[in-house]
Amino acid sequence: MARSFNKLEQQQAPAFFVRGPSAFARLVFFSALSMALMATDSRLQYLTTVRLNLMGILHPLQVVANAPTELYHATAEYFSTHHRLLKENSELKTQVLKQNIALQQLNTLTLENDNLRELLKANKALVQSSVLSEIMHVGRDPFTKKIIVNRGETHQILTGEAVVDATGVIGQVTRTYPMSSEVTLITDKSLAIPVQVERNGLRAIAFGHGRDNTLDLPFLPTNVDIKRGDKLVTSGIDGVYPAGLAVATVSQIEITPDSPFARIICVPTGGVENHRQVLLVSIPETEMALRTHHPAHSNAAKSEMAKPYEKPIGKPSEKSVKQAVPVDAVKPTKNTAPE
Amino acid sequence: MHPNKLKTIYLSLLLAFICLLLPWSGIALKIRPDFVFLTIIFWLIRAPNLCNIGTAWFVGLFVDLATGGTFGQYALAYTVAAFFAVYYQRRLVLFNGIQQAFYVFLLLIISQLVLLILKTFSGADPLGWLYFLPCVTGVLLWQLAVFFGLNVGGRSRGS
Repeated sequence: MARSFNKLEQQQAPAFFVRGPSAFARLVFFSALSMALMATDSRLQYLTTVRLNLMGILHPLQVVANAPTELYHATAEYFSTHHRLLKENSELKTQVLKQNIALQQLNTLTLENDNLRELLKANKALVQSSVLSEIMHVGRDPFTKKIIVNRGETHQILTGEAVVDATGVIGQVTRTYPMSSEVTLITDKSLAIPVQVERNGLRAIAFGHGRDNTLDLPFLPTNVDIKRGDKLVTSGIDGVYPAGLAVATVSQIEITPDSPFARIICVPTGGVENHRQVLLVSIPETEMALRTHHPAHSNAAKSEMAKPYEKPIGKPSEKSVKQAVPVDAVKPTKNTAPE
Repeated sequence: MHPNKLKTIYLSLLLAFICLLLPWSGIALKIRPDFVFLTIIFWLIRAPNLCNIGTAWFVGLFVDLATGGTFGQYALAYTVAAFFAVYYQRRLVLFNGIQQAFYVFLLLIISQLVLLILKTFSGADPLGWLYFLPCVTGVLLWQLAVFFGLNVGGRSRGS
């Protein structure tokens, strides 16, 4: 094909209309180049730094592109009516009052909990620090569930951190750039999150469904004690998500006689559509604390733990299943029987 | 006559890239036309001596970066589709408006198809027919631009 094309080119193209190498040659060259790039990027980790640096260059463009919406929000806020502001203010005041009362109870409870843990000689639950961040935009690929937030490596954000909004967990940081980071939502096919049924403490792993905004609870037997409307909260045994955060509500349970497993579909509690601010919760330092006691032992655990989050999630789901399960399997033994 | 300078090409590509970077969400994200590739098609037809398959590949890399996918996906899709644009470039300039629009639609479909194949290889779900919606909006945008006086290589058409 190339030869016949070259012949054509020679016949048709006069000297003043030179086009360099033939189109077919260029196609082959650049296709090979992109194939090589794809292979390097998906199998090896060489391109992470390249991507990082290029994202740094891209950031000013991003700021320019975001300017119109920022301006819109700013002006909309400026022109929001007096009445609405007053209403919002009073609502917030009542909310603060309620939460203050709850907080007072929480203080006594925390104290009591600490004392009880002391008595039981159990490890203290560590407070995880968090960073407030704003959603810059939804991911550009409409078929993966990702968002970009405006905090990145310069703000000490690490991959693997949990992302939470006012109503529940929404995802996990999967890639960090200098000034922003990419968050994969819990509804993405490649993300798994260890959960617990609030009613009876049953542990399971929830997987994103991918297409519609739902989560699946696979590999649970048909006689499992789950009802519609059950609340799923984070179990906290993965060492990433703080325990007890709302994740999803069970919306549908299908039991088919030909399958040993029930098909359980859940609707996530937190929403990206509703809020612009999210919290990035840092990975708890219990691992560090453990390492000071048993260096070799916990180093192994650390590497085991870090594995799923080092790689950018965007791989086939079978892989993430394999990666996610050890996290859940390793952690409980560490937390329940630390010494 | 509008001069086909390299500077104009890169400026328009930058503009298209910023369009891509705009915070699209929800339904707008699903029907967002591929601004960058439309601009490349335009320059491939208009000034094939300045914008060629290499340009398409290079710009595709930046789109890859912006979408956060695997490096090279968009680059390959743009390369393949750009090849078909370059291969038929001389006939394309002679086409009338409807024929040109149809061919642009085909090019957009080709780029989306290549992307679909690559995505399927990397383990994406079947995406459904909605996946090709950007092609339709893309060709509508193309027609709109032509309607508002964008001259797609009109020099050789004469009329």
